[in-house]
Amino acid sequence: MEGRPADDPDLITRAQRGDKAAYEEIVQRYQQIAFRTAYVVTGSAADAEDAAQEGFMKAFRALDRFRAGADLRPWLLRIVANEARNRVRSSGRRHQLELRLTEGFRPGDAAPSPEAVAVAADERRRLLETINALSEDDRLVIASRYFLDLSGEETAAALGIPEGTVKSRLSRALARLKARVEEAASA
Amino acid sequence: MPDLEQQLTALAAEIEWPPTPRLHVSMPLPARREGRGWEFPIRLSPRLSRPLAIAAAALVIVAIALAAYPPSRDAIARWVNLHTTIQRVPNPPTPSPLPSGSTGERLHLGSPTTLGAAQQKVTWKIAVPSTLGQPDEVYLKEPPSGPTQDEVALVYTERAGIPTSRLTGVSVLVMEARGKFDEIFFQKTIGSEGTIEEVNVGGHAGYWITGPPHDFFFTQADGTRYFDTLRLAGNTLIFDDNGTLVRIEGDLTRDQAIRLGASL
Repeated sequence: MEGRPADDPDLITRAQRGDKAAYEEIVQRYQQIAFRTAYVVTGSAADAEDAAQEGFMKAFRALDRFRAGADLRPWLLRIVANEARNRVRSSGRRHQLELRLTEGFRPGDAAPSPEAVAVAADERRRLLETINALSEDDRLVIASRYFLDLSGEETAAALGIPEGTVKSRLSRALARLKARVEEAASA
Repeated sequence: MPDLEQQLTALAAEIEWPPTPRLHVSMPLPARREGRGWEFPIRLSPRLSRPLAIAAAALVIVAIALAAYPPSRDAIARWVNLHTTIQRVPNPPTPSPLPSGSTGERLHLGSPTTLGAAQQKVTWKIAVPSTLGQPDEVYLKEPPSGPTQDEVALVYTERAGIPTSRLTGVSVLVMEARGKFDEIFFQKTIGSEGTIEEVNVGGHAGYWITGPPHDFFFTQADGTRYFDTLRLAGNTLIFDDNGTLVRIEGDLTRDQAIRLGASL
């Protein structure tokens, strides 16, 4: 239907037939989550950009092997994340992922009192600092699941681990995070 | 304190991510700059937009992807609207041991023939490098596996001063096929260890390519494009000899290859 965004299967079919515009639409649709996933893996915006770029190229070349009916997003994220991990491996270095908070309020936020703002901001800042201080495995699984809002399947793809491992790793990461938060609160 | 998971979910909206770059994956055909060879206007991210970076990154991207996914050449062909038959020439992963079979079979060169018979078949004057003398073997590759106006391969099994490739068992391979110079484009794909350099071969524009086995395209005389693999693990010289695309592959130095090409 004119004016209505094409769904993924339609875009894939068109791209497989050689429709450049269809694949470019796929790229535009998923470039943000792909870039951020690569950023979580590499900890570097520059490496993430390269990995996402390369990942989309590889995904295009592999379109023929895309299984009809499968979800496109986890498939793309797996390719991009693999590329990101390969870059980390080949460079022999992984940047420390440092997550930061945005400044100010989002549009549409209710205006809280200045005191509430200060307390809430301080709580968020400390929570994020605690997350940044976690081990890499813990930090990555929390960031993937909560900050990127990836599904279990997508998190598994992003981290290169079995989907069954995501749940147990996340559970342990949350337990450690909770312990550290409580430890900091009681100090 | 709210539930930890609720806090994390709420925190997600506050995370400051680096700006998402605009990614491009389209591969428009390159335009030829007057007197300056080809430019490759593959659109890349702004961070890679410097001229040298464009050429290098474009080549590396295609190289890595092609090397990683050799079965996907049909997809690439469709993407760039190739209409010719794609011949899948596997990139031998290691230089040894040599596969069995004749040179022509191993390297997918086509049917064995003689220089005279090949000359009668093709429309151009087959050029033989005088510094190498008469080839030891000659092969002719015709459609559908070959280009529309055929491809001739001159095989030099052993030549003094040129090592025999452990990959192919020959010293030098000279490939010739017809193409229109101003429409030729090739995207030589190189790995991270590869290089590409514009060179002059006896007055003809050419490219000196080093690195692992790689792929390239060229435009045939009828305007369609042909995809092939450069076979040797060593180096390659490609140049346009008045409408005939000549590729010299072997474990040659740059100067050796240019001298050889200029002797055609």
